[in-house]
Amino acid sequence: MGTTGPVTAMIALTLAALREPFGGRARRELLFCLVEVLCGLAVLAVIVALLAPGTAESVIRAAVIIAVLVPLALTTGMARRLGATYRRLAERLLDERIAPPPSARPAGGMLARLGVGLRDGPGWRALAYTLLKPPIAAVGLYAVFLWAAGLANLTYPFWWGLFRNHPPGVRLSPVLVATPFPGRVLHVATYPGTFLAFAVGAAMVLVAPWVTRAVVAADRWLLRGLLGPGRLAERVRDLEQTRAVAVDDSAALLRQVERDLHDGAQIRLATLAMHLGMAKEKLGDDGDPLDVTGARELVDAAHRGAKDALAELRDLARGIHPPVLDNGLADALATLVAGSAIPVELATDIPFRPTPAIETIAYFCAAELLANAAKHSLASRIGLQATGRDGKLRLSVTDDGAGGADPDGSGLSGLAQRVSTVDGRLEIASPPGGPTQVTVELPLRA
Amino acid sequence: MRVVIAEDAALMREGLIRLLEDRGHEVCAAVAAGDAMLAAVAEHRPDVAVVDIRMPPTHTDEGLRAALELRRRHPGTGVLVFSQYIETRYAAQLLAGGAGGVGYLLKDRVADVAEFTDALTRVAAGGTALDPEVVGQLLGAGRHVQGLAALTPREREVLALMAEGRSNAGIAAALVVSGGAVEKHVASIFGKLGLPPSEGDNRRVLAVLRYLGS
Repeated sequence: MGTTGPVTAMIALTLAALREPFGGRARRELLFCLVEVLCGLAVLAVIVALLAPGTAESVIRAAVIIAVLVPLALTTGMARRLGATYRRLAERLLDERIAPPPSARPAGGMLARLGVGLRDGPGWRALAYTLLKPPIAAVGLYAVFLWAAGLANLTYPFWWGLFRNHPPGVRLSPVLVATPFPGRVLHVATYPGTFLAFAVGAAMVLVAPWVTRAVVAADRWLLRGLLGPGRLAERVRDLEQTRAVAVDDSAALLRQVERDLHDGAQIRLATLAMHLGMAKEKLGDDGDPLDVTGARELVDAAHRGAKDALAELRDLARGIHPPVLDNGLADALATLVAGSAIPVELATDIPFRPTPAIETIAYFCAAELLANAAKHSLASRIGLQATGRDGKLRLSVTDDGAGGADPDGSGLSGLAQRVSTVDGRLEIASPPGGPTQVTVELPLRA
Repeated sequence: MRVVIAEDAALMREGLIRLLEDRGHEVCAAVAAGDAMLAAVAEHRPDVAVVDIRMPPTHTDEGLRAALELRRRHPGTGVLVFSQYIETRYAAQLLAGGAGGVGYLLKDRVADVAEFTDALTRVAAGGTALDPEVVGQLLGAGRHVQGLAALTPREREVLALMAEGRSNAGIAAALVVSGGAVEKHVASIFGKLGLPPSEGDNRRVLAVLRYLGS
């Protein structure tokens, strides 16, 4: 097992590499590369047309034209429209969905529009992307060359016999064969030589998809960086989403508290009042006959009810905010762990106290994760670690149970959402068969 | 009195059964959902049904809807809607179909056993029992009803106190006026709201209901 593992892996890898040129992905990437080359050529053509004559006068003219063109492109939203086209292309061919940047603010007058256009960050970035097209397209052109020349080389052995069937003695000039190095060619004069051409072609075709992929990857990187919403806008969107989660979450929590009060303590207190009312009747007004036994029974029920109501209110209050949390997360976790049905090994190292909100989130994450482990994992031991380091609070729950925890299940995804409201992260490693490790990383302050 | 109870909290349900049976009433059925209540009423034909507003499955207002349905199907059966909170809109809906045989009380009222059973008896007999809280909220909602405009500010005060269930003597004490003065105001209110003299004290309730715009 130990020796065959790597060998099988190697074989699988080789097979995958050999299959790569014939896959759908390679085809789509090649297509993207071709479009890339065309776009690059078009941009280059415009630039060359502006600068071509090379005289000082024409340079000035070009500078003036650019000075007019660039603001025009920005103010009319041309750059943005170009960006939108590129984004659509990437989505169609690369399955790369890039969110559009927030739209520019509309402005009234000509000057105002010019101002807005010149201050339009996404517009400028789209323009930069356009200008970066030619250099990438140059590499893209090389990838296309590898494909085309490689495929051409592969054909040599097949047509050699058709065209080179001259009688012996006739000496023909050798045929040129492209190599992966543009400018260098091989000369093939004999039939066995075509096998060399075939080999070179095969090598080129095998390498071509990876060069294509590199070009596409570079373009993807630029696409995301320059045509996406931008870091600030993305941050704003993240914050909007997490804020919505936080608001919904607190509304749901309030509803839950109301429900618990309504169905729990309130009912108990109403029943308690009813029992006391009935007991009072049994005891009667002045002079009425007493039903002491009945009254005692009712007072007993009321007494029990009062104690139940107190316990219920205590649980409810603890569910909202555990008082022990006021002493710090370490104490709160120790109390939490003490109540667990499965033994929990607790290790805490939190030199600085996080803010109360972070402590509360960490506590409820721990509570939920412990409850999850106890309920689903069939674990015999749980480990709970909480460490504060590098401005982060890391909470890690491990169990030796069955694994296979579903990150998209309502419990864990809810937890991930709650954690994300304070820019925290939740990581789940739970292979089938276990062990399961869930790590929550929170900033020390919200 | 024969009673059907619809209440999903077991504790409360048991308490109510005990309370009513202690006082010699018959609890024909005690169920935990609106549909079951309607079925039980159809089967047992009780004098009155006690219905919790919030019951499964949605825990919103299925009790109220069941109560309205009950009033439609069995107009002769009284229905006392019983809730842990008071919702003006619910009260208005309940009263919309006419005044008789309907009640709306806070659950807290079971603490005063005699008052609660009195209210239930009144509803069973075709009377009305409105929680003071309902009245307070409805008055606070500032309803504008025909005939009301004719009342003097003093008469409105008297009507509001009447709506809370106070007797003439109680109203007189609250307003620091003589009993005779209150009687005069009450008669004037009945006149202005177009309520002819009749047997029984139902006129007070009718005046209040008129005031509440039902």
